[in-house]
This record gives sequence, C-alpha cells and structure tokens, in this order.
Amino acid sequence: MSATQSRAAILDTLRKGLAAAPFFADAPPARPASISVGPDAWELLAGVLGPLEVRLRLARTPAEAAVHVADIARERQAATYTRWDAALNALNLPGGFDAALSSLERLEPGCCQNLARADLGFVLAHAALLESGSLAVVAAPGQHRSASLLPPASVVLVPRNALLPDVSHLPALLNRHRLPAGALPACLNLITGPSSTADIELVLVRGVHGPGTLDVIGLDWDV
Amino acid sequence: MMMELTTRHFRQQSASACRDSNLRAVLDHATRYFMGKRGAALEAFAGRDEHFARARSARLNALSRLPDLLEELERNATAAGVKVHWAADAAEARAIITGIAKAANVRVIVKGKSMVTEEIELNPALEAAGADVWETDLGEFIVQLAGEPPSHIIAPAIHKSRAEVAELFAEKLNLHGQSIPELTLLAREALREKFLCADMGITGANMAVAETGSVILVENEGNIRMSTTCPPVHVALMSLEKVAATMQDAADILRVLPRSATGQKMSSYVSVLTGPRKEGETDGAREMHLVILDNGRSEVLADPVLREALACFRCGACLNSCPVYQTIGGHAYGSVYSGPIGTLLSSLLLPQDLTRDLPFGCTLCGACARTCPLGINHPKLMLALRQRVANGRANPVSSAHSLLARHPLAYRLAVGVARTLDPNLHLLPRLPGMPGLSEFVDSRRPPELKKPFAARRRKTKREQKQ
Ligand code: SF4
Repeated sequence: MSATQSRAAILDTLRKGLAAAPFFADAPPARPASISVGPDAWELLAGVLGPLEVRLRLARTPAEAAVHVADIARERQAATYTRWDAALNALNLPGGFDAALSSLERLEPGCCQNLARADLGFVLAHAALLESGSLAVVAAPGQHRSASLLPPASVVLVPRNALLPDVSHLPALLNRHRLPAGALPACLNLITGPSSTADIELVLVRGVHGPGTLDVIGLDWDV
Repeated sequence: MMMELTTRHFRQQSASACRDSNLRAVLDHATRYFMGKRGAALEAFAGRDEHFARARSARLNALSRLPDLLEELERNATAAGVKVHWAADAAEARAIITGIAKAANVRVIVKGKSMVTEEIELNPALEAAGADVWETDLGEFIVQLAGEPPSHIIAPAIHKSRAEVAELFAEKLNLHGQSIPELTLLAREALREKFLCADMGITGANMAVAETGSVILVENEGNIRMSTTCPPVHVALMSLEKVAATMQDAADILRVLPRSATGQKMSSYVSVLTGPRKEGETDGAREMHLVILDNGRSEVLADPVLREALACFRCGACLNSCPVYQTIGGHAYGSVYSGPIGTLLSSLLLPQDLTRDLPFGCTLCGACARTCPLGINHPKLMLALRQRVANGRANPVSSAHSLLARHPLAYRLAVGVARTLDPNLHLLPRLPGMPGLSEFVDSRRPPELKKPFAARRRKTKREQKQ
C-alpha cells in the first residue's frame, strides 16, 4: 500500500469500528486539590528532593547564590562547565555568573561533541513541582538541552516564583513559554533526580547516561 | 539456551520455564521488588483513586475519538515541523524508517527502549540497510549483546545476573568490570561514544498529544534524552492507540504512570518534544519524524470488550502481580509482550492460529485487574479470547466432555468404561479417528482412574477376612 492508502485505510477501519460499536468514556472525577505553595514551599521541595539524593541549598541573595555555585564547583572537583546564557546572566550574581567560576574553563555550547568534556552544567528551572521534585527546563536559543544532560554533575537554579504544586500545571507552563508566533517550545524536560538505572539485578545506580549528581540552588526571590 | 521463542510454543516454553529454578529465584526477587516499591508509593498517593480514574478516563476518551484525534495530532505535529508517516503494518513501518535512514545517509543509530520497535523487528531491517544499531537503555543493551529478547517491560534484562553481564561485556566489548556500578560505568562510556557520533536517534513514544502535536517520552537513564538531543535526526515510532487528546490528559497520565511502573512520583526524565529544534538552538534533532503504526490495532476498536486492552500504557504492574508471569517469566510467552496484558495484546495483534494457547495460560485469579491503575479487566477479556479460540476451532472432545459432565449418570458410565479399559488414560489419546483427544488429555493430567471407593472398601475387607 502507498502511504496515503495506509493512512486512509487505518482511519477508515477505526471509524467503521467506532460506528459498529459506539464507545462512550465516562466523565472523570474532579482532580483532587493540589498542595498549596505557601511559606513552607522550600521545605517541601527539600523534603521531596532528599530521597532522590538531591541537596537543596537556599540562597537569600544573589551573593549567597554565587557562594553556592562556587561551593558546588569545588565539591564536584570540576575543571570545566557549560551553562545557559541570558537566563542565568539575568540573575545578577555579583560580578556576573562566571565570576564564581573564574578558575574553571567555560565551554561554549555547540554540538554535543563540544560539550562532552564539561564537568558541570548550569541551567535555570522554569518550574519546580513540589509534589514530585520535578524541575522543568525549557529549551530555547541560549538554553541548550545538553547543559542538563551531558555533564556528570548538574546544577539547577530554582527561582521562588517557579515553585508550583504538581504536574497538572504542565499545560499552563507550556503555554507560558509559547514563542511570539504561538508555537510551543521544541523541548520541555522534567528532571526528577539524577539519571538512574536498576537494570542489573535491580541495584540502583546513579548516573548511567545523564548526570550522576544533581544539585539545586533555591533563589529565595522572584526572577 | 535460546531456541526460537514463539507464541505457538507457549505450552512447551512455559513447561521448561517452570523447571528453571534460577529463573524462578530471579523472578521472585524482581516481582517482589517492583510490587514493594509500587505498593509503598501508592499507599502515600493522596487522592489515588481519583487520579487513577482520571488516567483511565484520559485513555478511554482517546480511544473513543481515536480517528479524529490522530488527524488532529497529524495536523498539529506537521505544523510544528514534524514529518508524520502512517504505517499499516510492521513491514511498512520498517520500510518508512529504513527509508528515512537511507535518505539521511545514516551510519550509526542510537535507540531508546521501545517495545513497538521490537514488535516490528526494526533492528535487523536497519542492519540489513547497512546501519550500525545500538540499543542504549542499559537493560536493552545487555539483551542486545546477548542476542536475546527483553523479558520484562520495565527491566528487559531482569533475567541476567551481574556475573553474566560481566562475562558478556568482557566477551563482546572487551571491557572488564565486576561490581554493578563498574559495569554501569562501562556501559555509559561505551554508549556515550555512540551517542556523540550517531546520525539518528530512534525512540518509541509513551504518548503523543493531539492538541499540540507533542511527543512525550518517559525514562530514567537519560538515554532517550541523549537520542533526541545529539543526533541530527529523531524518529519516534508510536502505536496508534498511544494518543492523548490534550496536554491536560497527558499530565493526568503522567501523575499515575511512573508511580504504577516503578513507584516513582515521576520518572527521572520526561521529555515533551514539539517539533525539531527551533532556529537559534544549538542542540536537539534538526529533523523529527513521527511514525504512526497500526499493525492490527485498528481492527480491535470494533470489539466492544477486547478494545479495552488498547487503553494500556505499559506500566508493567500486571506482569509483576500475575502468578503465571511470576512463575514462567517473560520469554515463555514467545512475544514482545508478556504477562496478562501481553497475552491480550499478542492474541489481538498476531494471527489467531499462533496464539491459541495464550489466553489459557491464566488462572483467572484477577490479581492483574485489581492491580491495573486503568481498571482494565484482564480476566474478562481473557474469557472473551478463550471463547473466540473455541469458536474458531472447537475441540469435539471438550464439547463431549462438557456434555457428559452435565449428565451425572452418563458421566459415571463413561468413567466406568474408561476405568475398565484404560485406567491410566494411556491408550485413549492414541485412539485413531478421534481428533483433539490427545490434546484434551495431555493438557489435563487426569489422575489414575481408581475403582470406586465402595468397591475398594469391599476388597480391603475381603482381604482382611482371608
Ligand atoms: S494492563 Fe498492565 S501494563 Fe497495562 S496499564 Fe494495566 S497494569 Fe499497567
């Protein structure tokens, strides 16, 4: 069959099937109320990240955030890093985002081969879901996908106004990131803990293809 | 160990799996592990029943509007820059994907875990077209190196011990490690190289959203993100029932799927991909294809009972809860899909004469239906399939037996005759001109037909007197 014939045949069979045996799905019950994002939101986030072996460090000021960035780079013994561009510049860390990483080499984004030797990757979360600890990152120019994927250690900065209850906010989140012409972003990732596998004897190992460690810096101000 | 496994030999394969005590130990550990994780997660899941009902509703709603939603998906995905293809069967899907690979001059392909690519036997076709194909999910990578099929939806290499994996890596890759973290690291390094030089990434699709044209991929390792981020071409192969009407429906499903599969609140990575990379982006595939596969599914939609099987989102929970799966494991089913849902899918998608025995490999205990977050009633569907098999080729001996069983006097008479002539039922199956008899007797293992209790008592008394 040609491609158009297949398409027509498939749709036709489906339509005939539904006509022969009409199908009515029951209306769903209301979605249970979401947890509220209140003053204890950071605590909730820390609580859900803990079991995923993710540490949340809270920064009350840009200067504190810069200290956390430098601490993490030291702890992870990183020599190279890659990072998102304008989104992290806009955080106004003292002296610029790279000032805290002055002894490290910054790798420019490009194809994945370029970034394969990055030890550390920095991105900004567009949302952090309190129920699951998922961090949403939206790809765009200057916001490369590989920054949170290729380096063995990943760092996600979470502004206070990115805290959301749960994944039921995904549609609204995507809508907020529509491009000027109305298109959705090409890629949104929910990241929940480090890369993991239990494929050999069901023993949990972190960092099989993606980052083995994930650090979160909470920015206790609205960005 | 590997003979050709097929659904046709389900009986023999199950019998030999039952004799494999190693396999039993592995299955015991694995199914308990998954059930334990899942149980704990569901215990702590506030509003669980409502969330389950919403996920079920999202799936059934999609099935009830399937043709319209597939057209909507096609429109929106195309608008987002995705090339959408329709494949009526496995051969067409293989031709489409090898065609894409050839057109893009592809040499190295990295693959994310996908049952559907297994279903259409994609890898041999790509290899025949000259491509170097790498399974990149750790479990899939292991079974690919071993030349075996996956044995579990969630953990494909569940049947392999660390020692076997170490041996396999040494033999096939000349890489040497012992501990599980060491072996994992070796796989990471070996596959990282492949990701970085791959020309094409192939994945399945956990869902595609009609409203937006997005493909949603759920995973824990990051290999699917790698396969869609680094290579210039991404092909997602989706069986046509996996569509969700809206992003809200997709979100309702994401609330339940990881919890039911592995007990996680959310899998490590969920990717929502809407078209190829946008201008100015430095990574992500430049070219994205979505192949919509039928392969027998569209026919199932006309069956008001059996179509419920199409609601499944492959969490794997019914496998772990099934006493048959717990005993025989995945390979014995002889198909990509195993366990209760696998029995249903294989029976619906493969030719009937190959799958006659599958729906009988079920105790009708109902553990699967109680476990399924989508409320799929596997035993009910299993009975419908048995009926279909019986209608297709009724066994005259079964019919005669059920007739006898309904008439006690006739039954006693028949048993009396059999007891006198052939108490061990050795001769009966060999009687010429009685088709179906050997199959009937073989599958039943009747006990030796002893003399009636009263007769045996009389005999004992007589002997005592003497
Ligand atoms: S049928 Fe089985 S695999 Fe499918 S959703 Fe239900 S429990 Fe999960």
